[in-house]
Amino acid sequence: MANLLYLLLLLPLVGGLVNALVGMRLSRRLSGGLAVAAVGAAAALCLWLYWLADGQGTRVSLLAWLESADLRVGFGLLFDRLSAPMALMVTAVSTLIHLYALGYMRAEADHARFFALLNLFVFAMLCIVLADNLALLFLGWEGVGFCSYGLIGYWYREPKNADAGKKAFLVTRVGDVFLAVALLWLFASLGTLDIDALNARAGALAPAALTGISLLLLGGAVGKSAQLPLMTWLPDAMAGPTPVSALIHAATMVTAGVYLLCRLFPLVSLSAAGLQAIALVGALTAFYGATCALRQREIKRVLAYSTMSQVGFMFLAVGVGAASGAMFHLLTHAFFKALLFMAAGCVIALAGHENDITRMGGLRRKSPLVFWSFLAGALCLAGVPLTGGFFSKDAILLAAFSRGDAFHWSVYGLGALTALLTALYTFRLVYLVFAGEARGGEHPAGHAGHDQPLPRVMRWTLPPLAALGLAGGLLNLPAGWPMAGLLDGWLGPLGGAEVRASHALELTLMGVATALVLVGWLLARRWYARFRPPAQGGLDRFLLRGWMADRAYAWLWVKPYLAVGWLLHRGVDERLIDGGLDGAARGIGRGGRLVAAWATGRLSSYLTALALGLGAMLAYFLVRQWAGG
Amino acid sequence: MAHFHADFPWLLALCAFPLLGALACLALRRSDAACRVAGLVVSLVVLGVCGWLFVLLGGPRGTGWLLHEDLAWIPRLGARLTLGLDGLSLVLVLLTACLVVVGVLVSWRREKRAVPLFYALLLTLESGILGVFLSLDLLLFYLFWEIMLIPMFFLIGIWGHERRVYAAVKFFLFTLAGSLLMLLAILGVYLAHGHQTGEYTFALAALQNTILPAGWAPWLYAAFLLAFAVKVPLVPLHTWLPDAHTEAPTAGSVILAGLLLKTGVYGLIRFGFPLFPGPARDSLPWLAALGLAGLFWGAWVAFRQQDAKRLVAYSSVSHMGLVVLGLAVATPIACEGSFLQMLNHGLSTGALFALVGMIAERAGTRRLDELGGLWARAPVLAGFFLFFALAAMGLPGLNNFAGEFLVLVGAFRAEPWLGALGAAGMVFAAAYMLRLMQGVLWGPPRSAEPWRDLSLREGLVLAPLAVLVLWLGTHPATFQDPFRELARVLAASLGGAGGAP
Repeated sequence: MANLLYLLLLLPLVGGLVNALVGMRLSRRLSGGLAVAAVGAAAALCLWLYWLADGQGTRVSLLAWLESADLRVGFGLLFDRLSAPMALMVTAVSTLIHLYALGYMRAEADHARFFALLNLFVFAMLCIVLADNLALLFLGWEGVGFCSYGLIGYWYREPKNADAGKKAFLVTRVGDVFLAVALLWLFASLGTLDIDALNARAGALAPAALTGISLLLLGGAVGKSAQLPLMTWLPDAMAGPTPVSALIHAATMVTAGVYLLCRLFPLVSLSAAGLQAIALVGALTAFYGATCALRQREIKRVLAYSTMSQVGFMFLAVGVGAASGAMFHLLTHAFFKALLFMAAGCVIALAGHENDITRMGGLRRKSPLVFWSFLAGALCLAGVPLTGGFFSKDAILLAAFSRGDAFHWSVYGLGALTALLTALYTFRLVYLVFAGEARGGEHPAGHAGHDQPLPRVMRWTLPPLAALGLAGGLLNLPAGWPMAGLLDGWLGPLGGAEVRASHALELTLMGVATALVLVGWLLARRWYARFRPPAQGGLDRFLLRGWMADRAYAWLWVKPYLAVGWLLHRGVDERLIDGGLDGAARGIGRGGRLVAAWATGRLSSYLTALALGLGAMLAYFLVRQWAGG
Repeated sequence: MAHFHADFPWLLALCAFPLLGALACLALRRSDAACRVAGLVVSLVVLGVCGWLFVLLGGPRGTGWLLHEDLAWIPRLGARLTLGLDGLSLVLVLLTACLVVVGVLVSWRREKRAVPLFYALLLTLESGILGVFLSLDLLLFYLFWEIMLIPMFFLIGIWGHERRVYAAVKFFLFTLAGSLLMLLAILGVYLAHGHQTGEYTFALAALQNTILPAGWAPWLYAAFLLAFAVKVPLVPLHTWLPDAHTEAPTAGSVILAGLLLKTGVYGLIRFGFPLFPGPARDSLPWLAALGLAGLFWGAWVAFRQQDAKRLVAYSSVSHMGLVVLGLAVATPIACEGSFLQMLNHGLSTGALFALVGMIAERAGTRRLDELGGLWARAPVLAGFFLFFALAAMGLPGLNNFAGEFLVLVGAFRAEPWLGALGAAGMVFAAAYMLRLMQGVLWGPPRSAEPWRDLSLREGLVLAPLAVLVLWLGTHPATFQDPFRELARVLAASLGGAGGAP
C-alpha cells in the first residue's frame, strides 16, 4: 500500500514525459486530457492514501541515488502530517488549474510543450513536498526552477518573455546556492541529509552553526518565494500564460520556500537570530509588496505583488514560531490566489486581451460569474472577516503580537499596516476592473475574435476555488470557535510553538483587523469607485517600478559582472596571455629544436624522427600561414 | 578473471586495432564511402569490446588491476609494453569508445575533404587516447601521448574552420611545450632510478619507488604537472583551448573536450601523484586554488562569448576546474566526484559540441546574435539541445549534478569555504548556459526557410548519449562502483583531511 505513494510522483512525471516525447503527435484534446488525468489521479490518490500520514507518517524508499563513502541519498518519500496536506493542496489546486488550462490553451498549437512542462512542474513540486531527504528536495527545488523558466518563457518568439523566464531561473538560482551550501554544511556537521534525522539531531549543532544554517536556508527560501532581496523575478513572471501564473503563485514554486522552512522548522526554530531574520524578511517583504501593488496598472502585476506580500506574511509566521500559522495561510492563500489568477485570465479575455486595469471597467455586467468569483477571491485577499484569508492572516498577526516584546510588536505593526494596504489595493483592483463603464475605448474595435464566449471549463473551475477560499477558515478556526484549531491539532509538534494569548486579546486584534479592512475599503471606494486617470508623480513611478529594484540590481550586480567578464576575456585571456604567447612561442620553438638535438643521442631513433616530424609539420603550417593559407 | 583468457593481450589489441583500422582507411582511399564504413565498423568494434569489458569487469572493484599485460618491447632501454586496466581506466576507456563513435557519426556527411585521411587520423587518435589511459610504462605512455597530439593537430589544421592554422599551431605549441618538459622529467626519473639500482626501466611500478636525489622531485613533478595542466587545462594555461575547440571540426571538438582534457587529469592521477607523492601533496592547495579559479574564470569568460562553440569551449575550462578542485581537496567523496565528473563532462560536453555542429550546419553560423528560434524550426533538435544544456548546467537528476554534488560535499568537508565557493559556481554556470539557450533556442526564427529536423543518424548519436546522461544522473553507482576504492585510496595517499569517519 505504502508503495503506492510513488505513484503520486510518477503520475505527473509520466504524464509530462509522454507529452514531452510524443505529445506533438497527439491531438490537443488528448495531450491536455492526459495532463489533467495525470494530476487528477495524483490528487485522488493523495486523498485516498491520506490516512498513511497519520501518526508518525509513512516512509518509503525506492532506489539509491547518490552514494559515496558515508553519503547515502536515495529516492525516498516521507508522507507525514506536514507533507500530506501540502501534497493534497498541490495536487488538488493543480488539477483545477490544469482543467482551466484546457480552455485557456484551446487555440495554442504548441500544446504538448505546455502540458509537459505543466505536469513536470507539479512533479517537481511534489518532490519538494514529499522528499525524505534534502538532496531529493533539492532535485525538486531545481526542477521547479527549470519548469518555471520554460513556462514563463512559453511564448518564446517574443524575446521579452524568454528574458523573463531567464530572469526567474537565474535569480532563484542565486537563492539555490544558499540552500546548496546549507545542505553541504548540514552533511558536513551531522553526516546525514535525511530530514527527520536532521530535525532530530539539530540540537547537536553549535549555536553559530545553527544560525548560519538557518540564514542559509532563509536565503534559499527567499529566492524561490520571491522575498526581499531576491523578489525581482516574480513581477516579470507574468509573461507566461495565465495558468502558469496561477500555478507559480498558488500551488507551486513560491510556496516552496515557506514549506522548506516549515519542513525544517524544528531545526530552524533552535536559532533565535535565524527566526528573527525570517520574521523581519517576511514583514518587510509583505510591506514592500503591498506598497508596490498600490500603483500597478497590469492586473496580473497587482496580483503578483500581492503574492509577494502574502508570502511575506507566511515568512513572518515562521519567524514568530507559528509554522502551523504559516501552513494555514499557505493553504487558504493557495485557494484564493489560484482563484484570483484564473479569474484574472477570464477578465483579460473579457476585456479584449487588455491587461491594463485603468482601461477596463464595467466588467461586472459582462460576466456575473467571473465577477462574483473574483470578488470572493478579493474578499479573502483583503482579509474581510469570516473569509479564509481573514482567519489565516489574523492567526499570524496574533502570533506575532502575543510574543510580547518590542521586536515582535514592531513586526506586528508592519503586518497590520500591510493589512490595511492590502485591503486598499485589493478594492482598488475590484473597483477599477468591475465598476463603472468600460474604458477600453482606445482599443481598435477590430477585436471581434476576442468576443468569443469564454470556454465553460474556464468559468466553472472558479466556483469550487471560491468556495474553498471563503470557507478556508474552517481549516483552523481560532480558539473559542466550534471545531477550533483543526490544523494545529493535526500538525501537532510539527506546527511549532503554541500561541499563548488570552481570548480578550484575540478578539481585540480581530477587531483591529476588521477596522483596518474597513478603512482600506472606504479609502478605495473614495478614490477609485469613480474612475480618475492615474497620477504620474515621482512616488507613483517609484512604486510602479517596484522601488527601482531592477535598476539598482543592474548597477549593483549586472554591470560589474559584465565588466569583470570583459576584463578576463579581452584583458587577460587575449592581451596578457595570448599576447605574451607570441614571444614565448618563438622561444619554445627554438627550445624544442634544442631538446630534439640533445635527445638524439639518448633515445631510440624513432623518437628522434618523431621530433623531427613534428618540427617539419610545424614549419609547414607556419609557411602556409605566412603564405596566407 | 580466471575465465578471461589472460594469455590474449586484450589491452594491446584494443590499442592497436584502431591503428589497423587507420591503415585500412588509407588502403581504401579510393572510396570515401568505404572509409566511412570502415571507420564506423572499427569504432563500433572497439565500443563493443569496451562495453563487454565493462559488463564483465564493472561492478564494485578493489584497487588491483582488472587486466594487466606486460610484453617485451625495447630491451636495450628497459622499455616494455606494460598495459593495465583498473576501475578508473575502465570507465575512461568506455567513454573513449563512445565518443569516437560519436565523432565518426557526426562527421559522416560533414567532412568531405580527404575523407580517408580524416578517418585514418580519427582512428589513430583513438589508439593514442586508449594507449594513454592504459599504459603503465612511461616511455610507452609518452609515445601514446604524442600519438594523440599529432592527429589532433592535423584534424584541426586541415578540417577546421576559418582560423584553423592559428588554432592548430597554438594547440601544438602549448601541448608540445608541456610534453617536452614531461619527456625530460621522465628521463630524469629513469636515469635516477637506473643510477640507483642499476636497473634501467620505464615501468611505473618500479619508478614509483625511486628515491630521487635531494631537490629533484619538485622540479620533475613540476614538469609533469605543467604537461598535464596544459591539457586539463588549468588557468592560466587554458588559452589554447577555446581556439582549438572552436576551430576544430565537430568530431575534433567532441574528442578534444570529451577525452583529451581527461588525459591531463588522468596523467596526474596515474603518474604525477604516485611518482612524486611529496611534491604532489605540497601542490594540492595550489591546485585547489587554480581549480576554483578556473571554475569561475571559465564561466565568466564563457558568458562573454558570441560564438556558441566558443562558449561551450570555455564552459569546459569551468567544468574541469571543478574536477581539479575535487582531486585537490583529496577527500574520498570529492575524489570519487571528480572521477565521475570526468565521465559526465565528457558525455554532456561531447553532446553539446555535436549539437552545435548540427545547428551550425543548418544555420551557416554559430553566432548567438544570428541564431535563435531553433524551437520553432526543429523542435526535436531543440529538445535535445535543451536537455544537454540543462545537464551541463547541473540540473539534479541529470549527470553533471551527481559528480558536482559529490565534489562539493567532499570539498566542504575538507575546507568549508572551498565547498561554498564551488557551490556559488552554480549561478555562473546558469548565467552562461541560459545565455546559450536564449541565443540558440528562443526568439523568432531568423528566416522563413524550413529546416530539416533531426535525421536518423543524428538521433542515433544523441539518443544513446541522452540515455547515459539520465542513467548517470539517477543511478551513477553503475559507473561509480568500479572506481570507488581507487578514489578512497587516492584520497588517503594524498593525505586529505576529513576522510570517512
